[in-house]
Amino acid sequence: MKRQLEETFPSNMTEPSNVLVVGVGGQGVIMISKVLTILCQQQGLEVKQSEVHGMAKRGGSVFSHVRFGGHIYSPTIPQGEADILVALEWAEGLRWLPYLKAEGGTFLVDTQQIVPPFACRDRRINARRGYVDKNMTELIRQIPNSLALDAVSMATDAGVPKAANTVLLGALSTALHFAPEAWKKVIEDTVPAKTIAGNLLAFEAGRDTSLALDEEIPAVSHQEKTDITEDVCHYNAQLEINEAWCKSCDICVRFCPECCLRLDEQQIVELFEPDLCTGCRMCEWLCPDFAINVHLETVFET
Amino acid sequence: MSKENIPLTNNEDGADNFDIRDYLRLDLFPHFMCPGCGHGIAMRALLWAIHELGIDKNQLAVVSGIGCSGRISAYIDANTFHTTHGRPIAFATGLKLARPDLHVIVVTGDGDCLAIGGNHLIHACRRNLDITCVMLNNETYGMTGGQVSPTTSDDRFTTTTPTGNIEPAFDPCALAEGAGATFVGRELTLQCPSLKNLIREGISHPGFSFIEVLSDCTEIYGRKNDLGESAEMIMKQKSAYRSENYGLEPKEMFQPGTVSTGILHKGDRVEYGESLRSKGPAKT
Repeated sequence: MKRQLEETFPSNMTEPSNVLVVGVGGQGVIMISKVLTILCQQQGLEVKQSEVHGMAKRGGSVFSHVRFGGHIYSPTIPQGEADILVALEWAEGLRWLPYLKAEGGTFLVDTQQIVPPFACRDRRINARRGYVDKNMTELIRQIPNSLALDAVSMATDAGVPKAANTVLLGALSTALHFAPEAWKKVIEDTVPAKTIAGNLLAFEAGRDTSLALDEEIPAVSHQEKTDITEDVCHYNAQLEINEAWCKSCDICVRFCPECCLRLDEQQIVELFEPDLCTGCRMCEWLCPDFAINVHLETVFET
Repeated sequence: MSKENIPLTNNEDGADNFDIRDYLRLDLFPHFMCPGCGHGIAMRALLWAIHELGIDKNQLAVVSGIGCSGRISAYIDANTFHTTHGRPIAFATGLKLARPDLHVIVVTGDGDCLAIGGNHLIHACRRNLDITCVMLNNETYGMTGGQVSPTTSDDRFTTTTPTGNIEPAFDPCALAEGAGATFVGRELTLQCPSLKNLIREGISHPGFSFIEVLSDCTEIYGRKNDLGESAEMIMKQKSAYRSENYGLEPKEMFQPGTVSTGILHKGDRVEYGESLRSKGPAKT
């Protein structure tokens, strides 16, 4: 094994190389690490791969550690030791950024944003979401070896919208010293038969983008999505409750999606959590006695 | 942020500038209906549709019969007509023929429309006169104490069916379509904006429009049959009916064992008033 290793990587592979692949469930994090692992095996390298995906279902956080070359004892990458961080989703990339080597680490990121439900807890109209709002261009400039690309649209152009992970794989292939043909062969063996052509196109697209942008590092090939510089306006809901008309039928209390209404001691509806009210008008629409009127007041905030 | 970029609230539903109190006779309120009665929600949808269509109150005539639904015309601030039991469609027919410029809307109940007024309904469907019939179906005669009606479901208890209802129920939409109505739709009160859209389409339709609104009678029918409070009855309706036909085009015909909502039938036949007027006055 050592002889083969030296043939492929003459001098720089005595220490293990660490590749961390992160994303959310359903994107193909495992597929990337699988291709890389099989490729390393075929090249005769010692390789260990470790992943956490069980709780991810679709949309949860998924990560996969791949370590290869030299002698590997632990399958996981310590913090600050990853040579390459491949992120299929922007916020996941930021989450795992501390694992990237401070000096000389390579950061490959898809600009796709998958907003988790927990980032949307404020359900008022036009409310700010809790998704990370770091300036993407700024951050990519700070990391010397970094590439942000819109892999989803590139994969869509290649005919397989789900092959965004293969685009990233193409970009990853330029950062490692394996031959492109060897990568393609593993991809052909791994992906479903009917998507082979599209996946190879996506791989080429990712590879070409990465090679083309190698000259002007730091490279950003995406459209800015996260800049929030504009003023935001939202609506403050005011409930006008006509107590004389309320017949305490309880419909509004039971159907309010935010559970901010209740019946008081006189069995008349009252808004006891005004901050929770989003002004969705459910109570107004379902009140058979026309006792509730919702007024929305536009508020601008900078 | 510029004014053009202000995000929509419920603006597309016209909710922002609709205040139902503009269309009500406020001195009669609170209305007489029981707590949790779905008729109020249906009334809101009707007035909302009228508001969206921009119909002037002086050009609107609401005709109703007898029963809980019949009382609705009294609360609407327009030209209203509270008529005899089962005959609102007959009165509306005369009104529409005499005043073709008016928007004539019939608000009626399941007993009023299908039992006592069943004959008037089928002949109005057959003639295809341009009136809109909104039938509030609560499966019982609520005002008189909860007797069995033509739409009462199987095995339901009412004051006249103490051992459970054995009569098969009408499918009012199938009846109207079979009789020749050119617009037939059905909606739940829970889907108030969809119901508003359906009524709006029905009023805009040139010809006889029949709209069945699935309402709930909580205090009498619900209590006798242990159907829970209003919220539970409404949710049960929601789970019992298919909700895929929400578009404004008819999608599926009636299928046995299921009840669909939305526009169920749309036809194109000559309107009765138009063909009558084309004949001119009778020669003597």
